[in-house]
Amino acid sequence: MMDDFEKQIQQALSRKDPSPFFEARVLAAAKRDARARRANWQMWWASAVAASLLIVTGSAWQYEKGVRERAAGEQAKARLELALKVTSVKLQKISQKVEHIQN
Amino acid sequence: MVFSIAYHFLRERSAAEEVAQDVFLQFHRRFDDFRPGPDREKHISHWLRKVASHRCIDYVRKQRTQPASGLAVSLEDAPPPSVAGEPADHFLNQRLESLIASLPEKPRMVLILRYQEDLMPEEIASLLDMPVRTVKSHLQRSLEMLREKIGRSMGNIR
Repeated sequence: MMDDFEKQIQQALSRKDPSPFFEARVLAAAKRDARARRANWQMWWASAVAASLLIVTGSAWQYEKGVRERAAGEQAKARLELALKVTSVKLQKISQKVEHIQN
Repeated sequence: MVFSIAYHFLRERSAAEEVAQDVFLQFHRRFDDFRPGPDREKHISHWLRKVASHRCIDYVRKQRTQPASGLAVSLEDAPPPSVAGEPADHFLNQRLESLIASLPEKPRMVLILRYQEDLMPEEIASLLDMPVRTVKSHLQRSLEMLREKIGRSMGNIR
């Protein structure tokens, strides 16, 4: 139960209205805010897409580099094996010739 | 409701409109959180009052840290307005508004929510995140202070 003094306070604190243009200002601010948030969202998406592309490109490049290195390794191994084979055949022939001369 | 809380708390129309605009923008952003239902309006009112109260308190605290603020002037020390020829009620209201504006933030907001929004101490406690007994104590002390100061400057009206 309120006494007279509390009623007086209630009267002093009666509701006040904002200026007539307040509603229009809030609506305009809400539109600006929505636009800005949309722009932020688009920026976020663009960044996410760019980052994904970077990751995919980087991974593809890494994979291709690995394939190239493996191929180069295989090629080098094959050349070495051939070289050894050729060398061992030649060495065998030389050794046979030397044995033949000595005998 | 939102503007009025801000106006009585800040006692400055442009600042109150700024705070109210912020509250409505935040409401606009979170509109989808308020799902349709029987308590939707009640929920929205509670949310608006809560955010408005906290924003007002934050606004004053922020202003206090900035020099040359218009709000830094103590309204309590301002002379009573000259209202020769106007009804005594108007004079009393103005004096009361000034005295309420001179209260510390929390008790001031408690008083505004109690007498402007007609809320019970339990509801105020929930809005301001404080115990009910603190709300009651703020109310009691603020009323005592107001009665004493009004009584001193205008004669006892009890």
